[in-house]
Amino acid sequence: MSLSQRHLALILIAPGLVLVAALFLYPLCFSLISAFSKDGRFTLEWFAKAFELYSTDMVFTVVIVVTSCALTALAAIVIAGTLTLGENRYIVGTLKALYRWPLFIPFIVAAQCMRTFLAKNGLMNNSFVSLGLMEPLQAVSYLDWRGIIATFVWKQTPFVALLLAGALASIDRATLEAGRNLGASRLRVLIELALPQVMQTLLVALVLSFVTMLSVLSVPLMVSGSQPTMLTVDMAFRINAYGDYATANALGVITYLISAGAAILYLKRGLSQEAPR
Amino acid sequence: MRILTIACSLAALMAASPLSAQTLNVASAGDQNMVDYVKDFLGPMFEKANPGVKVVSVGTGAGDSGSQKIFEKLDAQKGSATTDFDVVVIHQKAAGQMVKDGLLDKYTANVPTAKLATGEAARNALGTDVSGYVIPMFQSQTALAYNAAMVKTPPSTFAELAEWAKKNPKQFGYNGIKGGMSGVSFVAGWVYAFGGDAEKLMKGPYDAATKTTWDKAFADLKEFNKNATITPGNAGTLDMLNRGEIAIGPVWVDMFYSWQADGKLPPNMKLKLISPGMPGQPMYYAVPAKAGQKKLAEAFIALATSPQVQADGIVKKFNWYPGIDAANLEGKLDKAAWDKLFVDVTPADLAKNGKAFPIAPYFNDILEGYEKKVAN
Amino acid sequence: MIRLAASARMVLAASLLAAFAFVLIGPILNLALWSVAERWYTPYKLPVTYGTRYWEQVFRPTGDAMASLGTSVWIAVLTVLFALALSIPAGYALARLKLPMRALFMLMFLLPQAFPSVAIYINVARIFYQLGINGTVLAVVLVHTAHGLVFSVWIAAAAFAAVDKDLELAARNMGASPLRAFFTVTLPLAAPGIIASGIFVFLESLDEFTGTFFVGVPQVTTLPLLLYNAAMGGNYQVASITALILLVPSVLFMLFIERFLRADVLAKVGA
Repeated sequence: MSLSQRHLALILIAPGLVLVAALFLYPLCFSLISAFSKDGRFTLEWFAKAFELYSTDMVFTVVIVVTSCALTALAAIVIAGTLTLGENRYIVGTLKALYRWPLFIPFIVAAQCMRTFLAKNGLMNNSFVSLGLMEPLQAVSYLDWRGIIATFVWKQTPFVALLLAGALASIDRATLEAGRNLGASRLRVLIELALPQVMQTLLVALVLSFVTMLSVLSVPLMVSGSQPTMLTVDMAFRINAYGDYATANALGVITYLISAGAAILYLKRGLSQEAPR
Repeated sequence: MRILTIACSLAALMAASPLSAQTLNVASAGDQNMVDYVKDFLGPMFEKANPGVKVVSVGTGAGDSGSQKIFEKLDAQKGSATTDFDVVVIHQKAAGQMVKDGLLDKYTANVPTAKLATGEAARNALGTDVSGYVIPMFQSQTALAYNAAMVKTPPSTFAELAEWAKKNPKQFGYNGIKGGMSGVSFVAGWVYAFGGDAEKLMKGPYDAATKTTWDKAFADLKEFNKNATITPGNAGTLDMLNRGEIAIGPVWVDMFYSWQADGKLPPNMKLKLISPGMPGQPMYYAVPAKAGQKKLAEAFIALATSPQVQADGIVKKFNWYPGIDAANLEGKLDKAAWDKLFVDVTPADLAKNGKAFPIAPYFNDILEGYEKKVAN
Repeated sequence: MIRLAASARMVLAASLLAAFAFVLIGPILNLALWSVAERWYTPYKLPVTYGTRYWEQVFRPTGDAMASLGTSVWIAVLTVLFALALSIPAGYALARLKLPMRALFMLMFLLPQAFPSVAIYINVARIFYQLGINGTVLAVVLVHTAHGLVFSVWIAAAAFAAVDKDLELAARNMGASPLRAFFTVTLPLAAPGIIASGIFVFLESLDEFTGTFFVGVPQVTTLPLLLYNAAMGGNYQVASITALILLVPSVLFMLFIERFLRADVLAKVGA
């Protein structure tokens, strides 16, 4: 056993890394070069252009994604909490049968569903009007930032809830029972006893959702009008309308920095938690 | 586990690779109906005439992004001996670029039907000389679609439309410039109407200073946008027309007809081509420079641009304007089918108000001007 | 009185659940309606005429929906196997072993998801053309794996991190080799999380079309390519039907894995 832990770790991680390096890191270099150069010389011109034209869209993108993540987290905690701590068999059963369905709908289909569902005269408003919950004149279209957030939350909540429910199911029931026996409400048990134990899973799921939402093109393209819009739409537009890969790549770098930022927040927390052990 | 995986992949690799030498790969940028047109109509017809040949039809997505994907794929294959595609169906912008980059074959001399297409579109794609490289598959045109139940007297000029939109806020909808060419076409029409010399934008020569003269037009458009609904894309505009959320919007004429045929638009929708005009554009048949099946590709295009196929397929089935000169279709088509094309937009309208898109550099100036001065 | 409060709560819970069901099922119901709507326009709130015309169109003899579906599922299954084979060791290393620059490695796996640019796929296609593997299932599987790896690696790392180290140590103290301790203790305990990650890799692969276009088309065509064309072009009927077809393998895969999962969890309870 002369193999040090460090070497073993590197050997174990190597196959995956090689794949990513060959299929993404290496091609990415060309993108980076194109984002930072003009006629073979280093320049920040493309970034300047990206900021000049799309600064509003950058803020818009971050706000949309952060809001969607927050709402997704909330909804997922409610669902997973009910699944783990719910006492009514029927409610838990119905919920369990229902909540996963959006998971199977690809983004592009989700976008298309929502486009006809959330519209002013779409199925949702029409149902409300038919049920007498709303006057026809009150109907408004949600096909703007609200539509994007609704689609993201709808699509990502099952993902986060599935992971969270799995983690909650695997924690020690005894502590939760003890909490209940001491008279704590289910809400308190969930927030004070259960959640802290599965924080890691929740954060992984949220960071992955964050990154996924940031890279989806079809939802902003199909659900909302284009002013303002998300960065993926701008990136596609730069390429399709102008054949301008440089600015598109600069936008790609900015997108990656945003998601790396979110990932680092998570990783830092993970590291600082590991230290005192 | 890993060995099993690799073994599986290898097995899959073997299973997927054999393709007979007589496969003609046709890539179409455009909506699903264009892919199906090759798959269901042209493909079987060609296979019947050429036993042993199989036509494979793939779609690359609607609009310019579909053409861009074909361009990118051909560009990625620059180092290979042959390309994956034998026939490509592309938009004007990509055609110009592919010709400049040497990705296309100068093939039309080998195709007899090329002589039947003599229009400007067969030679000039947004200012790039493409003669010899392309034959138009069909022509399409943008126009305003309106709901006749909601709009009794539709505006007939851009100025009237601006007035109308002010009186009926949020009843006019278009998709801006992202997500579809129908909105781009509206913006180009707006600049033609209010930005000065439209002829120069379509014919050139390019003068970088021209774009400064559009400031007023863009400022007015920004004002106009406050009363307009921004829709999500070509389909988004039709969608909102379908549900009665907007009353007027710019659409592609062919999409309009196929949506109506599919029951996704009310029967009382009508079209109007307002003056001074809106752009239209053709789709092109082209052959990649390194296509593996050039002879077959040429035979395929000859069939696709023959008068009978243009009459039955392009005009009758899809309501597109023919790619070859209309005179060649005489006698191949009953009058009713021909007249159906021109119910709302008459040939006279088309001649007067059917414009081309601006040449590429002006085109980019208009788009970027819009991004800077209207959307931002 | 107490009974009244209890039934009031019951009603509240039931109506909340109903609202939730509407939000969840509404859009999917919308999808199902579109798949059988032959004509649907204003001012009608529901389709004017129903029919199976578009189902017939999707399943027409010259259409290749079923063949594409087969290819899609085959690719997705291979992708899951491949991704798990790579991510179980990687996840273990990231969670348990001392690894220099751990954060950097984690970020690297994030890259394929986070840098959304077709520019990358063009370059990947270039490499694959040189290797002569473009247009094969292997090429598509490789690209999908790289894309889905972040799900399987990150979730596997979290799953391994959640396994109690003491259990592993106990096994080692009882004389088990490190490998044996891993296979009998650590892996089974982390299995639910890892298997769940497989679902996401599967779905991710079924959802992907840009990469498939660049490295697979025209020799390999998958159902999402068809779906993408139909949805972008606004052909709602065909897109809805394609989406409903894609639902089938996704749900079957989920059910299959769930059975697997439950057995595993049960085994764990006894241990």
